Amino acid sequence: MAQYRRSTEKPILSVRDLVVKFKLRGKTLTAIRNISLDVYKGESLAIVGESGSGKSVFTKTFMGLLDNNGWIDNGEILFGGYDLAKFKNEKEWTKVRGKRIAMVFQDPMTSLNPLKTVGKQIQEAILLHSNISKAGAKQQAIKLLTDVGIDDAERRYKQYPHEFSGGMRQRVVIAIAIACNPEILICDEPTTALDVTIQAQILDLIKALQKKFELTVIYITHDLGVVADVANRIAVMYAGDIVELGMCEEVFFDPKHPYTWALLSSLPQLGIKGEDLYTIKGTPPNLYQTIKGDAFAPRNPQALEVDFVARPPYFEVTPTHKAKTWLLDPRAPKVEPPEYIRRLREQGVTFNG
Amino acid sequence: MDMVKYCLGRLGRALITMAIVLSIVFLLMRLLPVEGYFGDRSDAMNPKVKEQVLKSLGLLDPWYVQLKNFWVDLFHGDLGRSIVYRKNVPVMDIILPKAKYSFQFGMAALVLEKVIGLPLGVLMARYKGKALDKFGNLYILIINAVPAAVYYLLIQLGGSSLFGVSMLYKPTDPTSWILPTISLSLGGIASTAMWMRRYMVDQMNMDYIKLARAKGMTSSQVSFRHVLRNAFIPMAQSLPASILFTISGSLYVESLYSIPGMGGLLVTAIQRQDNTLVQAMVLIYSAISVCGLLLGDIAMMICDPRIKLTKKGGSR
Amino acid sequence: MGIFSQLHLKNRVYENMAADLETSATEEQVTDDMFKLANHDIKEAEQTAFSGYSYWKSTLKVFLGSKVTVFILIFLAALLLFTFIQPLLPNQKDPIEIFVNPETGIQYKNVQPNSEFWFGTNTIGQDLWSRIWSGTRTSLFIGLCSGVATAIIGIAAGCVWGYARKWDRLFTEIYNIFDNIPYTVLRMLITYIMRPSLGTMIFVMCLTGWIGMAKYIRNLILIYRDREFNLASRCLGSSSFKIITKNILPQLISVIMLETALAIPGAIGSEVFLTYIGLGLPVSTPSLGNLIDEGRAVMMVASQRYQLFFPVIVVSAITISFYALGNAFADASDPRNHR
Repeated sequence: MAQYRRSTEKPILSVRDLVVKFKLRGKTLTAIRNISLDVYKGESLAIVGESGSGKSVFTKTFMGLLDNNGWIDNGEILFGGYDLAKFKNEKEWTKVRGKRIAMVFQDPMTSLNPLKTVGKQIQEAILLHSNISKAGAKQQAIKLLTDVGIDDAERRYKQYPHEFSGGMRQRVVIAIAIACNPEILICDEPTTALDVTIQAQILDLIKALQKKFELTVIYITHDLGVVADVANRIAVMYAGDIVELGMCEEVFFDPKHPYTWALLSSLPQLGIKGEDLYTIKGTPPNLYQTIKGDAFAPRNPQALEVDFVARPPYFEVTPTHKAKTWLLDPRAPKVEPPEYIRRLREQGVTFNG
Repeated sequence: MDMVKYCLGRLGRALITMAIVLSIVFLLMRLLPVEGYFGDRSDAMNPKVKEQVLKSLGLLDPWYVQLKNFWVDLFHGDLGRSIVYRKNVPVMDIILPKAKYSFQFGMAALVLEKVIGLPLGVLMARYKGKALDKFGNLYILIINAVPAAVYYLLIQLGGSSLFGVSMLYKPTDPTSWILPTISLSLGGIASTAMWMRRYMVDQMNMDYIKLARAKGMTSSQVSFRHVLRNAFIPMAQSLPASILFTISGSLYVESLYSIPGMGGLLVTAIQRQDNTLVQAMVLIYSAISVCGLLLGDIAMMICDPRIKLTKKGGSR
Repeated sequence: MGIFSQLHLKNRVYENMAADLETSATEEQVTDDMFKLANHDIKEAEQTAFSGYSYWKSTLKVFLGSKVTVFILIFLAALLLFTFIQPLLPNQKDPIEIFVNPETGIQYKNVQPNSEFWFGTNTIGQDLWSRIWSGTRTSLFIGLCSGVATAIIGIAAGCVWGYARKWDRLFTEIYNIFDNIPYTVLRMLITYIMRPSLGTMIFVMCLTGWIGMAKYIRNLILIYRDREFNLASRCLGSSSFKIITKNILPQLISVIMLETALAIPGAIGSEVFLTYIGLGLPVSTPSLGNLIDEGRAVMMVASQRYQLFFPVIVVSAITISFYALGNAFADASDPRNHR
């Protein structure tokens, strides 16, 4: 089980007031709107949100992997004594990228170079960040293959990606990611492209590795089932902002933001037989325009007038749980969470991937 | 073992293809204008003599008999005798010495086009959108757009009047190689650079490049260790055919510079209406084409580990 | 690990709330009376479109966004317009009339460009200016006809090829062989068999052109054929024909325009070559091909090189313009460039 530190403990990664913008078709799009977030050593944090909410973009800034038309407009990303937001050239990034922060991508079928043996691709990652010999790196690569649960690693080392199944390839990608003993592992939808039967295996592997190597893991996912299975803390993202942040059980059983309510309500597990599933009406806001007030207000049937005027600040629910919604303001009327959420709390539904 | 099996299978298919193609080409050749069999004195011949000539060449037999005779002769290495160009000389004796010249010029141009074209394409992809890329694209645009027949003339004219290099090929003068070799390679440089750039850019957009970058490689490391290698493989497929086709020579350049090669020979053979010579050369072109495809597929198989398992055929 | 197993985790993370509250504090005036339910129509949320993206609008915007492209477009339009109205202008000469000096009775041979003969005359005393525009018309006619025919045949064949899975191997094999024999050899041979004429010229251009086009379309169809929206369409009972015409061909419009644009410089190039080897149009039908060939014949004489340069300039201007426009349009029609 991951270790937790007291408030005196400094976070391993600290994001302050981050703004990320993109230039697209001559227009400027604000993908990340003033996010602040602390990540603590050894925890597993899940960032959830629908497509386009900016969750991938957010984590890409930790690796310096934003597309060419995107840039950090404001804010800082403090990690290991550096401000990653200030990094300009690739030389600076090589100190962190792959070495101290590593990433696992969504689709294992396309993440590996089809023309290089998997062994060489792992070895390459090792050689990039340490000064050991090629033979030493090979030994290490074979050990890594064993670590990620690939049998007969000596033989598999010499094989090409197309000789591996999807799940096996994802194991190789994970082996590459942990090759240099990173401190933070970012898993961007690590199971979305896999068969359901394989998903649990990969999540178990990541959990086991997290324990073994004392990793801090950041999951990016839209699958709340995955979240319930692996995360200690959840950050709910909507329209480029974290609208609710709390421990896993706090967000699941005592959600405060109407968007979190809506997100949880649309879980198929909560549906009642014979009734339509809950769906969130409307579409996410246009990020090309400046968003006024609460970004979710236009889709929220119970939005307050203030939601259209002013952007809500964080309201603290517990020391570990906060949400950006005016409903938590003492002046707000009492708005009950929807039926689904109450049922979730009362019945204590469990999710298993 | 897989490899041998694949090669044998591919070879078998190539042989069958070759047989079909040569037969079709041979039959198509029956459509050639009939006066191309009579030589220079066709006007003076009366219809009876003409018929006799055709008969002696076996051209009045039913097509299947002609086809059979063609294959029998082919197995004896006999492609017929020239009618006008060098009367009654076996066409193979005419063609083979010519191939040597074409091969020399072709290889010189091929080396030049790869030596310049490949790095140009790589650099264009690397600096996509920058000045070098724009310059390269302009070059590719002009070479592709302006008919080769036009810029060959300008090179010949400009080269000889500005630098005093010989306008025609002279075996004794090595500088007379310069203009035809440059002419031959310009188009190749453009297409090599264009495809190399395109493959590089395609590879750069692949997901595995994201992972390679996430490993901590710099973009130049990614370019050299991943992109370049992967982008080069599709280029490898066309290389054997390019090499083989050097012997067939360039039709236009060779006749423009009076190089005694195969390309110029085909032009002459058509101009002088020497049907057996035309037929033999077109058959050789087809044979080269089939062989080039075969070798290209084998080259791909050696370079690309995925071929053996995922692709049964060699279709592109 | 279910959610309950985490419940015993009481050792919690304490956030640095003060800093966060500060950074996200809002400047707008918040008054107490705003804290009531807003009466808003939730359906309005549906209308928040992303960037108002329209494919054709963006294509046009990118296409016309480049000054060079607009310049070439205007230049080409002016050139084409001029080519077609040139014979109607006053004081234009007949392109095949041989001009004779009335005083000496000798033809005006190789006259340098002057106010009477703007581009000079050729070796037999014909006016190069009018011959060039007449030749441009002929060559454009060949180019356009073969371009359009190539596109039509190529698309039809490509669609059949792309959808007839059983025959794909065979077609591909045939294609590979044809593709590897240099087109110039094929064109030469067919022209030789069919005897040179305008019709032959157009025919041989199509003959070699459509194969490449068909292959291209086939590849695109293979790419689009099994896309989800087409599978869905097939599940709903649409016929192959309908899927091709409704779902796939619209995606190919830009390709078709590009290929047609490129067929024109291609056709002019082949025509120049075929003329050179003696398989071109007769001199009585001026074309850019035989004009260049006439120029080539006299290029050894420095003073007569204008006979080569004028047609070369016109050919280059036309082919480069068409090619550049075709490419610019292909780039503009690629949604990845719509940024």
